[in-house]
Amino acid sequence: MNGKWDSMTMNRRSFLGASAAAFAASAVGRAFAAGETLTFWDMVWGTGATYTAAARDLAGRYAPADGALGVRYQSIPWANWYQTFTSAAASGTTPAVSSGAAFLPFYFLEQGVAAPADNLVATLDKEGKNDFLPGLLEAMKTDAGYAAVPWSMDLRVIWYRKSLLEKAGAEPPTDWDSYIKAGEALKKADLVGFGLAAGSTTTDAQHTVSALMINNGGGFFAPDGSLNCVTDRNIETLDFINELVRKGIIDPYAASYTSDNLAGDWKSGRVAMGFGQTGLDKTLPQEIQSDVAVIRPIKARHGDLGTVYYINPLWMFTTTPSQESSEAFLAWYLDNMHAYWTSGVAIDLPVKKSIADLPVIQDNPNLVLSVNEWQPVGKTIGAQAPHAFAALNAVDGGGASAAFVQQIIQGKTKSREILETLEASLRKVVQ
Amino acid sequence: MIGLAAPSIILMVLINAYPLGFALVQSLHGGGLLRLGNFIGFRNYLNVLTDPAFWSAAFFTLLFTVCGVFGSWLVGFGLAILLKPQFPGRNLFKVLLLLPWIVPIVVTSMSWNWLVATPRSLLPQLAETLGMGQVLFLADPTMAMVTVCLFKIWISYPFMMMMAAAALESIDSSVYEAATLDGATSRQQIRYIVLPMTARSTYISWILMTMFSVNDFATIYLLTGGGPVNATTSLIVLAYRSVFQEFLPGYGVAISFIMTIVLVTLSLLLFRQVRKTNL
Repeated sequence: MNGKWDSMTMNRRSFLGASAAAFAASAVGRAFAAGETLTFWDMVWGTGATYTAAARDLAGRYAPADGALGVRYQSIPWANWYQTFTSAAASGTTPAVSSGAAFLPFYFLEQGVAAPADNLVATLDKEGKNDFLPGLLEAMKTDAGYAAVPWSMDLRVIWYRKSLLEKAGAEPPTDWDSYIKAGEALKKADLVGFGLAAGSTTTDAQHTVSALMINNGGGFFAPDGSLNCVTDRNIETLDFINELVRKGIIDPYAASYTSDNLAGDWKSGRVAMGFGQTGLDKTLPQEIQSDVAVIRPIKARHGDLGTVYYINPLWMFTTTPSQESSEAFLAWYLDNMHAYWTSGVAIDLPVKKSIADLPVIQDNPNLVLSVNEWQPVGKTIGAQAPHAFAALNAVDGGGASAAFVQQIIQGKTKSREILETLEASLRKVVQ
Repeated sequence: MIGLAAPSIILMVLINAYPLGFALVQSLHGGGLLRLGNFIGFRNYLNVLTDPAFWSAAFFTLLFTVCGVFGSWLVGFGLAILLKPQFPGRNLFKVLLLLPWIVPIVVTSMSWNWLVATPRSLLPQLAETLGMGQVLFLADPTMAMVTVCLFKIWISYPFMMMMAAAALESIDSSVYEAATLDGATSRQQIRYIVLPMTARSTYISWILMTMFSVNDFATIYLLTGGGPVNATTSLIVLAYRSVFQEFLPGYGVAISFIMTIVLVTLSLLLFRQVRKTNL
């Protein structure tokens, strides 16, 4: 034992020597790795493991043109993603290109660690491949250029269970008043007419309330990008939600529901109607997938249509070993990513018309309705500002937004007061 | 000699002092996660101390800590006394009672969520059956505070039980025998023998549990995320949110430093109490 210990003992000189060698090896290794290929960070989207396998396969098929760099795929889990990205940015170890949460590229562009995508967009224009659906690319534009390019879209639409509405003798709603009527009928049948999850660890209800605010021509922001929560339109929206709460159409348990709790209620048939992602049907058991359907966008108090969407972005970091190579890879990737929809691993909507026109989308009436009727009336949570911006990272999923929707579901506070509290809380994070 | 220890000392300083020093510097600046920003002196501290959200979180932290420390001590100490005599299956009971402490918090929080979160969960249905109506264990702010505190007691009592059991073992059986001969009842024995003779261990377990509770992020965040309407937001949850969800690192770090100052002061007071206990 002692002999072994003696042979392993490190004196000061060997310790310093070993440390220097390790440091040098790490620096050389990093430089070598960084100089050889582009690193592509990709979140775990869509169907999870099968999506990641398909994405790894797709990135592996990239053959760079002469002089351009190849790409190394790296899957990034959603757990602690803020920390993953911000600590990488703080230490200068961000990848060359990345997918990620909707507003992250705006933050990084503002902080000077992301590169604008203007050249990439120009290339797409030149090659006739800029066929993004209406409004999506514009939503990426900032004063400093395009923060990112879209690759898919998390669009919120209203789903209903056909058999449950039939059982309750209710019709799919067309406006807010008929929604309340249908909700009351469902309540009588002991069903939830407006499913949502407002727990502090999910953003589901925040998305739903944002969708309704946009539906009524409102939003958190004024057209000039300043905070503007306390408006007549927003008060009307909260009054509408309050009516849903008072009439028991919204389940009081929703204030603490997680996404899993809500998914369980959709599966068990407790929830009959509510906002959801366009891929909601794919998350349900096979036997009830054909029982759910998307309704047409409903009219709010003044006849407006609208919903919220989150544009899933692809963007480039300034830490790339070659900006031209990053742009070349993304141009190729955008041109080949239709594979995610044809292989069924993407749950969100495509953002390019060439993909939206594929039979896999066109043969699905729910997706056709989503693309044709919901997407054109969608906006980001930056509404009514013309485009997204960095501070939205703190609005989406922040404590202020979580408390806001929970307070609505409590049904004890006046709409104006709730909005005033929200605006005061957001003012702290939106400067 | 100092030369030989120098690499270790430098390493320790780099590992411990650098992040602490950087955090202190960050709390005096107004930047985001990637840039320090402008020097703003103690403005973050002033903002924290004048923010109603801070005081609301401080109140819940106090409640959570008091429940965590004394609730788990009462249960743990009681169980340790019950498990002191030899009886068949005693060791099995001990192991079973340790489970809440042994099982990872992610699993236990999920189990509690299944127990209380939806109207079809076991406890809401039980409450309904007992005629208590709709009990919103996590969706009502007051009930959520109660549920989180009960959850804290449930996961913490095994620690208190182990501490108390070890302290009880240190009391010589002759002390109990003498007390019995003198006609002391069980209650008198606990009051005049057990409590004073285990006081030192009790104070130490209180100090440790106070630190565990104030710094307990997982218990709260996994069960309620700090909601509803911030009712179960503790200081550590508020600090986390400020840094990683609202991108206000200076503000979040200032909360952490204020927490540290309070915790150190409290620990010093309790340690003084331990020193006074001459057992």
